[in-house]
Amino acid sequence: MVTLTIDNQTVTVPAGTTVLEAAQKLGIVVPHLCYHKELGAVGSCRMCAVMIHKGTLTGLKMSCLIAVEEGMVVTTTDERSMALREQVGEWLMLNHPHDCPVCDEGGECQLQEMTIAVGHGRRRYTGKKHTYPNQDLGPFIAQEMNRCIHCYRCARTYKDYCGGRDFGVMGSRNRVTFGRFADGMLQSDFSGNLIDFCPTGVFTDRTFRFTSRFWDLQEADSVCSHCGVGCAVIPGGRLHQLQRVRSGTNAAVNGSFLCDRGRFGFDYGRHPERPRRARRDGQEVAVDVALEALMSDARALIDAEGPEAVLLLGSERASLESNWLLQRLAKELGCRVPVLSPHARRHQAAQAVAFDLSHQLASLADVRTADVAVVFGVDPLAEAPLLALALRQIVRQGGRVVVCDPRPVELPFAFEHQPLSPLALHELLGGGDMDGKHLRDLLRQAKQPVLVAGADLLGTAGLRHVHSLAQRIATDDRACPIYPVLAGANSFGAALLSLPEQDDLMTRLEGDHVRMMICLETDPLVEGPDGKPLGERLARLEKLVVFDYLPTAVAARADTFIPTCPPVEASGTFINSEGRLRRFERVLAPGASLAHKEDGAHPPRAFFLTQPDSEPLPAPRLLQRLLGGETSLAQIQAEMVMDRPRLAALPQLKAGEEGERVAATVARALPEEKLPEQPAGTLQLVVSPARYGSDLLSRYARQLTPRLTTACVYLHPEDAERHGVQEGDRVDLDTRFGRFTLPLALSETLARGCALVENSAALPEPIPGSGISFCRIGRGGANG
Amino acid sequence: MSRHVFRDIRGTLQPFWVTLRNLFRKPVTVQYPEQKQQLPERYRARLILTRDPDGGERCVACHLCSAACPVDCISMQATEAADGRRYAAWFRINFTRCIFCGLCTEACPTKAIQVTADFELAGRDPLKLVYEKVDLLVDHCGNDNSYNFYHQTGIGVTAPRGENPQETKPMDVKDLMP
Repeated sequence: MVTLTIDNQTVTVPAGTTVLEAAQKLGIVVPHLCYHKELGAVGSCRMCAVMIHKGTLTGLKMSCLIAVEEGMVVTTTDERSMALREQVGEWLMLNHPHDCPVCDEGGECQLQEMTIAVGHGRRRYTGKKHTYPNQDLGPFIAQEMNRCIHCYRCARTYKDYCGGRDFGVMGSRNRVTFGRFADGMLQSDFSGNLIDFCPTGVFTDRTFRFTSRFWDLQEADSVCSHCGVGCAVIPGGRLHQLQRVRSGTNAAVNGSFLCDRGRFGFDYGRHPERPRRARRDGQEVAVDVALEALMSDARALIDAEGPEAVLLLGSERASLESNWLLQRLAKELGCRVPVLSPHARRHQAAQAVAFDLSHQLASLADVRTADVAVVFGVDPLAEAPLLALALRQIVRQGGRVVVCDPRPVELPFAFEHQPLSPLALHELLGGGDMDGKHLRDLLRQAKQPVLVAGADLLGTAGLRHVHSLAQRIATDDRACPIYPVLAGANSFGAALLSLPEQDDLMTRLEGDHVRMMICLETDPLVEGPDGKPLGERLARLEKLVVFDYLPTAVAARADTFIPTCPPVEASGTFINSEGRLRRFERVLAPGASLAHKEDGAHPPRAFFLTQPDSEPLPAPRLLQRLLGGETSLAQIQAEMVMDRPRLAALPQLKAGEEGERVAATVARALPEEKLPEQPAGTLQLVVSPARYGSDLLSRYARQLTPRLTTACVYLHPEDAERHGVQEGDRVDLDTRFGRFTLPLALSETLARGCALVENSAALPEPIPGSGISFCRIGRGGANG
Repeated sequence: MSRHVFRDIRGTLQPFWVTLRNLFRKPVTVQYPEQKQQLPERYRARLILTRDPDGGERCVACHLCSAACPVDCISMQATEAADGRRYAAWFRINFTRCIFCGLCTEACPTKAIQVTADFELAGRDPLKLVYEKVDLLVDHCGNDNSYNFYHQTGIGVTAPRGENPQETKPMDVKDLMP
């Protein structure tokens, strides 16, 4: 630790801290533009000048570049440094177009703030301003190069931190510009970070263009619900419409970064077909009427037919509170405990993470600081995009990343890819051939190893193998934590709440004793692997009740439908993949949007006491009404802690904070799973989520349409040759999910003996995480 | 005691004298509404949205007036024209709430919102005092006949990029000359 004096106040900071950061610790803001806590300093804006009176280097210095020294004396408000900063501010504004009224950054612009902070207020220069050409960077990012101050933050964000390759610094002298070589959509899955990191209005959110001012937005700390990573986000809305999402900050999870799926895929809650009214037998009814009817139906059925007659289904998308209240409802009704996920195998894998691996889970920050990471069965950009960024930081610091996965994994950095088929991957983890030895040696020599395990591909058995591998690698002086990748925002939470020995959905629906099913914020038809048989079984139910905020297939079939609120319209808790409790707060109240952008339109001139379409209620409140008696969320949480001691940190949890981890527990003893035998002449089927349009939320987010891909089958060229098919052919793929006729694409980096299909809006039937299965491929028959 | 007697007599008679003196003066009362009064030039009453000298809408819907408004009576929504011009899709001033302080006109960076001397805003229906853009937009420049925001600001909307008088032509970014 080093002690120094800044503006007559002493502060003690760790060695290596810069003077700027030390001043920030004292609450002194030294004006700065190119420095950002995630990106570090480059000293290109020259604005953070301070006077160093005592130290190795004295005089006027850039505080972002000078490391603190013992006994250093610094002033930030002396005449010379203030004068220099004002002059630098004036220089930076020489070519600025002064178009703040029409700039979307206005109000949250660091250049505005810093220009005022340095005291530059009147333009003296009378010469001409430089102008630059703009580029069309696609539907997500708008560029206005004239506003640029050449701080290089965009290039450092996009290229250095996120590893994008199609964006950079171009030109020389005062012609330096930042952009692509040619017009076109930015290819990186992290392009949206340019919006947050650009300190002026060069890169602004095109989906939010001319929509609202920062100061008019209702904002709250929330959690992204697109995948299991649980990044901190700050959604903002106005006029009852969610209008944008920006990245929040959570040092343990996402730092200050966000992927494009989370940033631009927020508009599922404003889908035009979002059901906002309660419905019973095709008739719109009041929510309370529907709730009462549903309760009396359930009671009557249980009285007549016993506790098996009613089946409750929770979800990995619903909050922890909703799932717990669903369990309470089951107790109240006297029926069997709810199934908390429509996807049994995924749920079991999440339970393996929540129970067996709980004492050695890594956080995403642990991944960023590791020196060797071995990834088993994860395609990070598809399953947990921020994990790809974390892994990139390992490589940037000189570490190594090895990915063992059948898919043609693409990552924004150099890594070693071992294309292993699912069976080979299980054998590698379970057995001990040469490849496994090479990996073990690599991990043993590492100072800070970390394992990444994909629950979808590995399943319970694979996760337990990874667990025992981690235990073998760990020594007394250094641990080997595991970062698990789970699919849903609350997969961990649902797994933690449910009982390990519970039956899965299809087992429970066997026979005819289930007469009524209540689905809470889930569509088992497309979120579980048994869509077809389940659809037939649902048709034989007497009552199907659905609570949801998306216009799903099962919602359309429901006898009773009750509208709920997406996470931005409710408060609650998720548990992310690493077992971290993440609180989200309500941003907006539900209701019909009053935002009109068409010419001449305006909000209605009639005024109502209640907002139209504000019937949807958060699921916990609806469930409490069913249980008879509404209490606050804090009271529910207190009761939850009594019931589940592992959630001890729940009541103190605050939105926007790092979030506590759930308490660890001892691993369970489970029998070994046997791997299936591969029938001759078949290929192993690999189902991967597509980067966009696989999770149900992004499927209903229409803003993501430009990023959607078409469906095809991927094969290794050798396999294609063996099966007599060529690239571009339409081929028939016979799988456990049915027959698909799709175009064929070849990939050199795909594991041999595998056929890969992506689960997306274009091909929703194959479901990832459904275990090892086999398929047959042939040239397209009838329509080939 | 006698002092008070004289004071009281004077206090009784003086008002009569004042009345008598004013009885033959010309009256100052204006017979409103039959007669209209000439108001000072800077009188602040009904707000208008003016146009620039080229006839375009001056308002860019930047929200600064609504941010400055102490009673929150201004609301709007910005939108984009085909040429990239930012303008108000709708603009609403609730004159039942407006206190005619004029802070919006001071905040306006484009001289779009201006005050007029028209104070006759009384009515029986409050909704008639909620003015939409069509009620606010006028066909003149108001008190400034020369200012056009888009000629001062360099992002290429009314003139092509780099064609405003205070700008150079856009850089050839692929030029490598020193």
